[in-house]
Amino acid sequence: MKTVIVYKWARNPEDAAVRADGTVDWRNARMTAGEDDFAALEAARAIAPEGELIGLTIGDGDASWALARGVLQAVAVTDAAPLADNAATAAIIAAAIRRIGGVDAVVIGDSEEYSGVPVALAGLLGWPAVAHATSAEAAGGRIRVVRKQGRNDQTISLATPAVISIAAASPEKKVPGMKELLAARKRPITRQTLADIDAAGPDGVTTKGTRLPDGAAARLFDGDPANAARQLVAALRDEGVL
Amino acid sequence: MSRTWIIVTEEKPVAALAAAARALGKTVAAVVVGPRALADAAALAGPDEVTWIDAGQDRGVEAFAAPVAGLIAGDAPKAVLAGASPESRVLAGRVAATMSASLVPGVLSLSMAEDRIVMDRSGLDGRVIETLEAAGPVVAIYAGDDIPAATERSGAGAAVTPLVAEGVADIVIEKTEPAAGADAGITKAQVVVSVGRGLRKKEDLSIIRDLASAVGGEIGCSMPVADDLGWVEKDRYVGRSGQHIAPRLYIAVGIQGAPQHLEGIRGARIVVGINNDPEAPIFKASDYGIVGDLYEVVPALLTALCN
Repeated sequence: MKTVIVYKWARNPEDAAVRADGTVDWRNARMTAGEDDFAALEAARAIAPEGELIGLTIGDGDASWALARGVLQAVAVTDAAPLADNAATAAIIAAAIRRIGGVDAVVIGDSEEYSGVPVALAGLLGWPAVAHATSAEAAGGRIRVVRKQGRNDQTISLATPAVISIAAASPEKKVPGMKELLAARKRPITRQTLADIDAAGPDGVTTKGTRLPDGAAARLFDGDPANAARQLVAALRDEGVL
Repeated sequence: MSRTWIIVTEEKPVAALAAAARALGKTVAAVVVGPRALADAAALAGPDEVTWIDAGQDRGVEAFAAPVAGLIAGDAPKAVLAGASPESRVLAGRVAATMSASLVPGVLSLSMAEDRIVMDRSGLDGRVIETLEAAGPVVAIYAGDDIPAATERSGAGAAVTPLVAEGVADIVIEKTEPAAGADAGITKAQVVVSVGRGLRKKEDLSIIRDLASAVGGEIGCSMPVADDLGWVEKDRYVGRSGQHIAPRLYIAVGIQGAPQHLEGIRGARIVVGINNDPEAPIFKASDYGIVGDLYEVVPALLTALCN
């Protein structure tokens, strides 16, 4: 089953510094692997044998991330910029997937900050999709995923082609070592531009600024632990939660 | 007058979606995908019109993305709102693609400025509110809390019009079973004391157990403590892909407060953070906090609780 694993397609919110006036400084943050990218790669591997798995990344991140994790070939759309409109980001990824051609499954991390991207991608491709799955596998020419829904696990089967977004149930266990990083350098990366894939769509959304959220910050007790503990217990008793 | 549409796949946050849509000053139309009871409940929660698609028992709600998109795009609305559940999001994605609309997640409120939609969204894991302006039509994934349905509408809900869906995708629910740990005490506990990587060794869990016992609570933990370290059972891991809990009191001990952890405690009433790093994100999500070494703070708390 020809499967595309989409990785490093957004900036990591943790790379952004929020100043006291609520403005945001991304410094030189590049597209990075999100916290769900590794889980998405694991799911993609469960769907496709090695030879049918293709990595796809957009922007200025290091494209070798997937290659160091066993993916044999990757495509990078190098001039894609971070966009406020999740549909515009998805349009770039969709164009790259169409250009790869003959894809049966797309697996992508279900980032909370950019939670519109995987679903807009499915919409633009016109493919069935399940979001927020925790695992996936190929089963009789279809894809079977498991998703947590409330207190239940739901097992869902989809016809292909399909888009699956994955939420990580655990962090990456073993970061690639020097051997894997060196092997990754020998694997091919097909570098493309937005013009190459006809994906120069505009960002339909403009940011007018950021501010700090309203609401009081936590009431912090510090100093002597015994004193802080007494104040906290008193406050929790006043709240009626103890 | 064109409508503002809301997409409904579960009972919450229908009233908030309807109220946010109404702020744009137009007729609010809902499309409900699910059982009839959901459509009836949605009709009482604020929209002016309800179109209902019966999802049946075995089809995933996502299978109805194309008919929902066809219905809404045919009306050419300026704005569409959907909840943040995975099912609603998939429908929203298809609607945005069909309408060639922008798609914005994390939206808390919408307003009109001349003919443009202006949105406030929660960004960077809740650290900022970002104001965005869309030039064209927009599909907003709503991330605010639900609100009580407007009382004047109670008892006189919108009419529900069934729609027989065509172009349903092949997405089948094979089985639904209780998740591992769904019966763990933590999911029902009124008080949960969770521990993170601030704990130096497994043996030290005893002080966390003592604290949990003193406040009549269950033990929980952050993902690394259950997954990497294996110090606490996995069904007690609190977070996005772990347990989502809603205790009246949540005490996070030595937990930094990664976004995926905070997602699991959104329903908690009072959150207490205990961490030696005053900049730890847990304090941003806490009502109360103690900045200090957990090895000093927890024993001090045990003493204070005894008095």
